Amino acid sequence: MLSEGAKREIGALRARYPVAQSALLPALLRVQEELGWVPPEAMAEVGRLLDVPVEVVAEVASFYSLIFTEPVGRHVVQVCTNVSCLLSGAEAVRERVERELGVRAGQTTPDGRVTLLAVECLAACDQAPCMLVDERRYGPLTPEAAARLVRELD
Amino acid sequence: MPQPVLLRHIREPDQADIHAYERRGGYAGLRRALRELSPEQVTDLVDRAQLRGRGGAGFPTGRKWKFVPKDAPVKYLVVNADEGEPGTFKDRTLLEGDPHLLVEGIALAAYANGVRTAYVYMRREFYQARRQLEKAIAQAYERGYLGQRILGTDFSLDVYVHPGAGAYIAGEETALLESLEGKRAMPRLKPPYFPAVMGLYNKPTVLNNVETLCCVPWIVREGPEWWLEQGPPQLYSVSGHVNSPQVVEAPLGTTARELIERAGGMRGGRRVKAFYPGGTSSRPLPARHLDVPLRHEELAKLGSMLGSAAVIVMDETTDMVKVIARVCEFYREESCGKCTPCREGTVWVTQILDRILHGRGRPEDLDLLASLARNMTGTCFCPLGESVPPSLRAGLEDFRDEFEAYIRAAREPVQMPVRLHLGAPAPGG
Amino acid sequence: MSREPLSTVTLTIDGRTVTVPRGTTVYHAAQQLGIEIPIFCYHDRMPPLGACRMCFVQVERMPRLQTACTLEAQEGMVVWTESPEVVEARRAILEFLLINHPLDCPICDKGGECPLQDNTFKYGPGASRFVEPKRHFPKALRLSPVLTLDRERCILCWRCTRFGEVVAGDHALKGHDRGYRTHIDTPPVTLERPSKFIGNTIAICPVGALTSGVYRFRARPWDNRSTPGVCTHCGVGCATWVDARGGEVVRVRAREKPEVNDIWLCDLGFFGYDYTNHPERLRVPYVRQDGVLREATWDEALERVARALERAAPRVGALGGERLTVEEAYLLGRLFRALGSNHLDARADSRFAPSPRDWVWGAGPFEALDTAAGVFLVGCDLTEEYPVLWLRLKRALDRGAVGLAVAPKRLEVEGYLRAAVVHQYGAEADVLYAVARLVAERQGSVTGPLREVDVDASCRRAGVPREAVERLAQYLSAVAPVLFAVGRLSWDGPEPERTLAAVQTLRAVCGGDLWLLRGKGNAVGALLAGLAPDTLPGLVPLDDPEARERLRGVWGFEPSREAGLAAPAMLEAAAAGQLRVLYVAGADPARDFPDGSLWQRARAGLELLVVTELFWTETARQADVVLPALSSFERPGTVVNLEGRPQRLAPSRMGPPGARADGDILQLLAERLGRPMDYGSVEAIWEELRRVAPGLELDRPYGFTRPQPEVDVRPAQPHDPGEGLVVIPASPLFRKGEMSSRCRGLPDLAGDAAVGVHPGDAAALSLTDGVMVEVDTGAASARVRVTVTDAVPPGHLLVPVGFPEFPRARWAASGRRLRARIRVLEPAGRESR
Repeated sequence: MLSEGAKREIGALRARYPVAQSALLPALLRVQEELGWVPPEAMAEVGRLLDVPVEVVAEVASFYSLIFTEPVGRHVVQVCTNVSCLLSGAEAVRERVERELGVRAGQTTPDGRVTLLAVECLAACDQAPCMLVDERRYGPLTPEAAARLVRELD
Repeated sequence: MPQPVLLRHIREPDQADIHAYERRGGYAGLRRALRELSPEQVTDLVDRAQLRGRGGAGFPTGRKWKFVPKDAPVKYLVVNADEGEPGTFKDRTLLEGDPHLLVEGIALAAYANGVRTAYVYMRREFYQARRQLEKAIAQAYERGYLGQRILGTDFSLDVYVHPGAGAYIAGEETALLESLEGKRAMPRLKPPYFPAVMGLYNKPTVLNNVETLCCVPWIVREGPEWWLEQGPPQLYSVSGHVNSPQVVEAPLGTTARELIERAGGMRGGRRVKAFYPGGTSSRPLPARHLDVPLRHEELAKLGSMLGSAAVIVMDETTDMVKVIARVCEFYREESCGKCTPCREGTVWVTQILDRILHGRGRPEDLDLLASLARNMTGTCFCPLGESVPPSLRAGLEDFRDEFEAYIRAAREPVQMPVRLHLGAPAPGG
Repeated sequence: MSREPLSTVTLTIDGRTVTVPRGTTVYHAAQQLGIEIPIFCYHDRMPPLGACRMCFVQVERMPRLQTACTLEAQEGMVVWTESPEVVEARRAILEFLLINHPLDCPICDKGGECPLQDNTFKYGPGASRFVEPKRHFPKALRLSPVLTLDRERCILCWRCTRFGEVVAGDHALKGHDRGYRTHIDTPPVTLERPSKFIGNTIAICPVGALTSGVYRFRARPWDNRSTPGVCTHCGVGCATWVDARGGEVVRVRAREKPEVNDIWLCDLGFFGYDYTNHPERLRVPYVRQDGVLREATWDEALERVARALERAAPRVGALGGERLTVEEAYLLGRLFRALGSNHLDARADSRFAPSPRDWVWGAGPFEALDTAAGVFLVGCDLTEEYPVLWLRLKRALDRGAVGLAVAPKRLEVEGYLRAAVVHQYGAEADVLYAVARLVAERQGSVTGPLREVDVDASCRRAGVPREAVERLAQYLSAVAPVLFAVGRLSWDGPEPERTLAAVQTLRAVCGGDLWLLRGKGNAVGALLAGLAPDTLPGLVPLDDPEARERLRGVWGFEPSREAGLAAPAMLEAAAAGQLRVLYVAGADPARDFPDGSLWQRARAGLELLVVTELFWTETARQADVVLPALSSFERPGTVVNLEGRPQRLAPSRMGPPGARADGDILQLLAERLGRPMDYGSVEAIWEELRRVAPGLELDRPYGFTRPQPEVDVRPAQPHDPGEGLVVIPASPLFRKGEMSSRCRGLPDLAGDAAVGVHPGDAAALSLTDGVMVEVDTGAASARVRVTVTDAVPPGHLLVPVGFPEFPRARWAASGRRLRARIRVLEPAGRESR
């Protein structure tokens, strides 16, 4: 299931640590970069590549919010809802984005375009209210600006 | 206003450019250390500079380094770049704005502690910061500040960036080590797992915050006396109802009032109602404490703490019940689930607060919250669960009127769960 | 000036002082004073966790309450376990645990033996302050055929997940998600081997979250009568508690016995008792008349047997022993020797039958695993054969012992071994000789026959890369003492003699003890009690004058000096009409003797085949007289485990009224034969056995002697390449045998039989995982699904013998190689799963 490139990179990641299991999160994230999420077969492959029992891979993956063990949209939008952003209008931003996408936070649009997540502090309180669109950070946002951003995602 | 130290070059272009960094005096500290100082002497400088950890615990850095056994053959340095304390963004600012400062700090700390391998545990969401730091690390290797036989000495060091994956608890040092070992980020028992003695892979590990390490090049370059004269420099993340939220560099002990001014003053000219001095894990303080020096000792006397020095400012329009409920919810979502009081307590507390917010509060809920705050104090496995009581206590003591207002306005009775046919709720135990 | 730290510390708990070894926790120190501090997550077979926060104590000069289970006792510590703060904290923790705990006590199996109940009663709040909706989850989730999970009851103490990580190493249960969303479940992504130890998680779960699907709703603990017992399924001889209610065994639990099973059992032991109450139990004798078996009275049946034995003596023989007690085995031996026959063999399922004087089944004390520097498994699939021994081995490996293995398949526990080699079936000797040669080279002294060992040729023959063999040699050169354990895959393999010679060679080079891990139930005990063709009770030579004198003293006669026939020879003699009567005590050679056609010929040649049994086994169906016997739950006696350790059985139920203990049957027969064996009690038989068999001591390992190690290099037997895949007869733990198929849950744990094929062979044969095939050796065939797995070496077929489709008689070559052809049954292109 994993590309040769991913397998090679996972091998290189493994070499950075004296214990192979340390490469587990980096490896899962690398898989996610390619597939968007981590399907069960990919978990099994990662387990084999790192000599970690697949049961352990699954248990570890399930702990972390940013390891997706279910399919996600082509884009992942994370709206911060913690205190500093809350004080700066994050609720309105979140509601506007939900309306724009037609889904609640935690859900994926039916066309598979966007997964919307309400998240905790992104350490960007100087740009409150803010959100991450994939790897890019935007803020301070108005509800309309946020809506426009997600509307323009393909 | 004196020239900032830590933030001096944050806004310059070519922030990750090693040549620009060198031109500004970068890596002079490392050069000095490798040429003139022994590892112990470097530690001594840090000790004399009275540097305290900037991650939240405030532990004296020199003392922490001295716990590391000198003769252990394998040791690690782990940099905590998992900045997750709400309201804190100074590490991200340093990583994006002056990554070489951290690289130099890492090299100095590694040298001081006999470390040959360092991992920077960086939260996944710091995409830009990661790119900056990896660029800086690559350049440092090229220039010979990292890798084998640095600057022609016996000192060798490899540095790797390791991603987190969305778990605030991974910012707790022993949970971070678990995560670095590829496991669920559940905190470890101390003793015996004090990182300095039994850390990563059970080897002695120096674990420091980003900002802490960024102080080290300055201390080594200019000396501890100079460092102390500068304040010493402390980074305060100021956010919330201020006009210009930003990282403010100010001497340790600056007041909230001064920080608010530096951050452009209050939005709309409104008055302060309350502020968190040290992130949401600290007890929020009412406005009458605006002139308290924001330092470890003074804040501890108020039942609060400096923590990560994240000052979240709330004005008079703020619904304190809502804020405190959101804060408790944060800890509920981020609890690792290991220990009973945190895992169950955060759920119960947020259920009560939610009920109060939605017009179904009861007078006895306030005593109940106070009781739960007591039951979660001193009983949790790690500081995460212990971060809920400070907000609750502040709410019940300093902002009680807002809670009472919600309860007075309650319209609906408490919805009893359908399955419990016990009549009226049992009297409080 | 440094001071030596004291090796003990003295502390004060609740005003009383106690001195404990340094390193003791406050929890254990308190226990020594009789103070039970409440716990949930702590379990003393696993490292302290400190998660549940139940065990708080107050310690002078420490500002926070401390968890007693993690706090090391220090000199001069002053501890309070009942201070107001502690009392308050306990109440608080219990309150937190109870807020989402369902009010299930009336319908929860744990009630009456529930630490949460007990602690709440003692330390908890009297009333609930919780008025929020409780969290709800689906209840009674069937996680496995024997395990039911109730998520609402789980207090996340982590005992079950840690058992799977730390003790069993099988990761059977895992925690998913985080925080309050955490839930325990079987892993969503898994290699899908059913755990062999899940019963232990049920035992250690402190609430009714994990419960037995088999025991569900059967009894309250106070209803049960508990009898100490010994499990007789495999040969480990785990100590048990047998709980019976209303005369029925309702469950089996582990009994603590540090030397044998510690506090654990395997799932065969946990769930292997239902068969005792199965409707198919034999209840009356049967005799064959006019070719058909019909019911008979005991009188008639015994008379038939006695007369036949009398007529045919001394050309009579007895097979079996693993299902007998040692007293019964002793009586069986005495009876047949009284008839002038030494044709006795407890090893009814093996074609390799060396003299027990040379090679007797058995192991050293299991505790030797605790201190071995290394353990080398040869053809020993430990988790399938003797699962609880794996738990002890794992503990040793965790402490640093080096685990090594050679086997014709990948072992389930390979991940815990430092080096493991998978070789062509029957080629373990080649690997072992090569290792011996390499170790000798490292020692700088390759002498004698070892010089002839060609390492590369050996590796080629065995189909293993040289580096793998080098690794084994590397470890063996660095580690001592090493314990060698030879298992069933080798004993029943194509060349067991050569394998043993190779093991002896390796032992000659490296040193180390040798265990022969073979034999189920009381097989070892039966051999020791005298069911062996060329030894007297106690493995004493037939012609030993003192032993013969002793026997004369108690039996009134001396046994014949002529060595008897071992099982394979007995069957040959029967086939030739030389052996006339065969008495099969609790064995099923028709199914289990690995030469089905020899058995058929033997059966045809016998004048009388007598079987004592619990069920209509294949052998019983072919017998002339079938006598209903009692199970190990239904009669007293002594059974001996692999260590040669005798342990007492105590009956916990009555058998069917028409059935009789084997001992009674033998005494009745003896009387009819005019050679009465009068013993007042089972105890009296044991006492006599002890007098005549030196070395047998209750609850003490026997102390088997092994032949001196010597370098003995034997050439490989050439074998025909032949067509088809070489059959590897693997004996899985769960295999729907006569007893286990009649226990609830166990057949489902076994699942459907499937054969294992290497991916390369699968590709060449166009087999996909899960496709239905017919496998055919020429002498037998079966229809099963295929599992494509690289646990099997290329060119081989892993067959789960013991399953009904794969009787040992047809599929376990034992001394030969069998080959099987595969034919796909489902047409290509059709969905095969």
